[in-house]
Amino acid sequence: MADPLAVETRGLTRLFDGKPAVTSLDLRVPAGAFYGFLGPNGAGKSTTMKMLTGLLRPTSGEARVLGADLSRDGLSVKGRIGVVPDGLALFERLSGSEMLRIQGQLYGLDRLVAARRAAELLEAMDLASEGGKLVQDYSHGMKKKLALACALIHGPELLFLDEPFEGIDAVAVSGIRRMLQDLVTRRSLTIFLTSHVLEVVERLVTHVGIIHRGRLVAQGTLDEVRASGSLEETFIRMVGEERAPGPGLSWLGTRGDEK
Amino acid sequence: MKEALRALVELRARLLWRRFTTRGGIAEGVASVVLLALAIPVGLGFAVAVGFGAYQSVKAGGGLRSDVGAAAIFFGLWQTWTAVSLTLNDREGLDLNRFLVYPIAPGRVYGMGLATGIVGDPMGLVWGAMLLGVFVGAAMARPGAWLGLLAVTLAAFAVATVVFVALVQEVLDLVLSTRRLREWATVLSVVVSVGILALLLKSTDRPFRAIGDVLPSLRVLQWLAWPAAFPAAASRELFAGRNGASLPWIGGLLASTAATGWLSFHIALRQARGAGTSGGSASRGGPTPAGTGLPGGRWGALVEKEARCLWRQPLARVDVLLAPAIATFVAWKVEPRISLEAGEVLRALPLFGVALYTHLLLQAFWLNAFGWERGGARVMFLAPLDLAAVLRAKGLVLYLFSLLLFLASASLMAIVGKGSAPPWALAAALLLHAGTAPWLLAAGNLVSILRPRAASFAIQRSSALSTFSGLMGMGIVSGVMGFFALPALLAIRAESTVQLLAGWGLLGAAGAWVWWKAVPREARLLADRRDDFLPTVCGDDA
Repeated sequence: MADPLAVETRGLTRLFDGKPAVTSLDLRVPAGAFYGFLGPNGAGKSTTMKMLTGLLRPTSGEARVLGADLSRDGLSVKGRIGVVPDGLALFERLSGSEMLRIQGQLYGLDRLVAARRAAELLEAMDLASEGGKLVQDYSHGMKKKLALACALIHGPELLFLDEPFEGIDAVAVSGIRRMLQDLVTRRSLTIFLTSHVLEVVERLVTHVGIIHRGRLVAQGTLDEVRASGSLEETFIRMVGEERAPGPGLSWLGTRGDEK
Repeated sequence: MKEALRALVELRARLLWRRFTTRGGIAEGVASVVLLALAIPVGLGFAVAVGFGAYQSVKAGGGLRSDVGAAAIFFGLWQTWTAVSLTLNDREGLDLNRFLVYPIAPGRVYGMGLATGIVGDPMGLVWGAMLLGVFVGAAMARPGAWLGLLAVTLAAFAVATVVFVALVQEVLDLVLSTRRLREWATVLSVVVSVGILALLLKSTDRPFRAIGDVLPSLRVLQWLAWPAAFPAAASRELFAGRNGASLPWIGGLLASTAATGWLSFHIALRQARGAGTSGGSASRGGPTPAGTGLPGGRWGALVEKEARCLWRQPLARVDVLLAPAIATFVAWKVEPRISLEAGEVLRALPLFGVALYTHLLLQAFWLNAFGWERGGARVMFLAPLDLAAVLRAKGLVLYLFSLLLFLASASLMAIVGKGSAPPWALAAALLLHAGTAPWLLAAGNLVSILRPRAASFAIQRSSALSTFSGLMGMGIVSGVMGFFALPALLAIRAESTVQLLAGWGLLGAAGAWVWWKAVPREARLLADRRDDFLPTVCGDDA
């Protein structure tokens, strides 16, 4: 019997002003997998994630998340997933602890339970001393950690992370990486992650999907996709050959007097 | 450096152009044209009026008539210019914070921002036409070389007013964003209010006698409005033909303009360099406790989030100061002028006006309800929430906030006006306030969903509403006021307060029904429009 799927799409397509951003996407993310969704800039990663999380309507195609049809049972699916979207989803005028607690309540948690989990998450994210500070005063890395905490507070079965390592330092990357690995091994949580940082992805994921110009060009377990090479080599081979270096920039490297 | 400035001008022009050519830009363009079409004849009309006033003052050649004319022109112009600029001025395109990274002197960027306050604003046409009217009126009355000095005075007056507005905005922003200053400002305002109240109540038989006694010595306060006081004094001399005597006043105007500009620039620079670190904390003592306060559950969380975010809005805090101040002024200056014979309904009109005004003050929040959500707006679509509940929570919190403003204002009116409005009027005003709210909120939701705008948190760069939304707001408010004016007109005619209460009660109940029915449909519209709505509100397409 085949593995149950956490995410399954058929012919998922999204057009912007008639131009395709994502075309006929057939994703298959097994339950319990750590799925890395990779692609160069503008390939359609964020658009796909937005469609899978209800932030964007598909132009055509079907999407099933945790076994439910997203177009029909969107509300019930939302309650079972956690999302860290591109650009984050935080209210700047709430404090970190208020943001977490209110987020928990919005996902149906009791106020006291939400507050207790908020305190635990702040501790786990190393934000406990900053819990009373307004989100607007957080650094980018702190906001990323808070957004991840928000996505976890209600105990989701599936976690969507859009570029979780972008714009944060190596220490924070390492901390988040450890936490994600721990989450996958401790319980049957599925993680769907997009990232540019291939070295980190390679060390984390069990499954990979590569999207290029809106189309899925590879999908499978990490070993299946990268075959004998590294993930980076496979990625570059699939999304396009290495570009020849362009002509040098005439004004750099010389003390030109052109102003 | 010239290239850099040229680039800045080009940037400003391109941003303006893009505003009209991107998604929804045509509606913005049409709204701007409509505003201009309104501004030009209004400006010309007022220009003729002030031009005639200047003509008469110059012809009088000195004395009381000339002095009063000069004072009326400059104080009147300054007052309206300042009030309109504080509400509408949009200097977001040249936000100092964004330009600190460029090798351009921040002072030049700031100067450009101020200049756009004069030439880049449709209302600038109105003020420009009025100043031109003053000049033409004076020239027709007495041509001569003295007009050169008058031209300098008028130009300096324009710059001084814009710089003054900038200073007020920067100071307000500083006060409202720094916790310690905010606390001191609150203490100070309480002390001043108590002092004024004590002064008013000093003589219990005639509460205003105390004010009357001190009024002559309060004349010195006119210099708080120095952008008007200096040119008024200079014009007094110029109109009377004493050119030499006007020079110290013109010099004073130029010097104080320069000093104010320097001060406002340095406050703005300090704020820009410290941006993101001066917002203060909600509470410094770590995580907030959960066991107290608002009710739990999704609904409680929605209401709590709305209440906290609204209260932390600088604009809302300004409204808290503004509404009672205006109501006190109305009770002090307007109510006593309505005679007892005018009838009870007419005597209650100032109170009714304040009831409506508290909604007007908050129009940025009901016409652009999602304007300050930023990334948080995504939560509404990511969490398993009924969007109708989101809209209801927003409406409820905004109504309660408006009610709070109204109750504070009405209490002050009762104290200052010594109960000049009849007792039933408070109930009627509450009915009016509650009855108009659902109509405004239902219509405001539509505008908020169809024309959202990522608004600035800083009040000195107030761009909470697009031109289109502003125009729609004018239409909605006029329509609702027209609706509710009908029972009032009938009641005045019949001298029946019962008729008024019944009419407003019916309209309010109809409004509540309309709001209740409209919200689910508006929620569906919001869900349908999320593809365009989210990038705009989150500021992704800024």
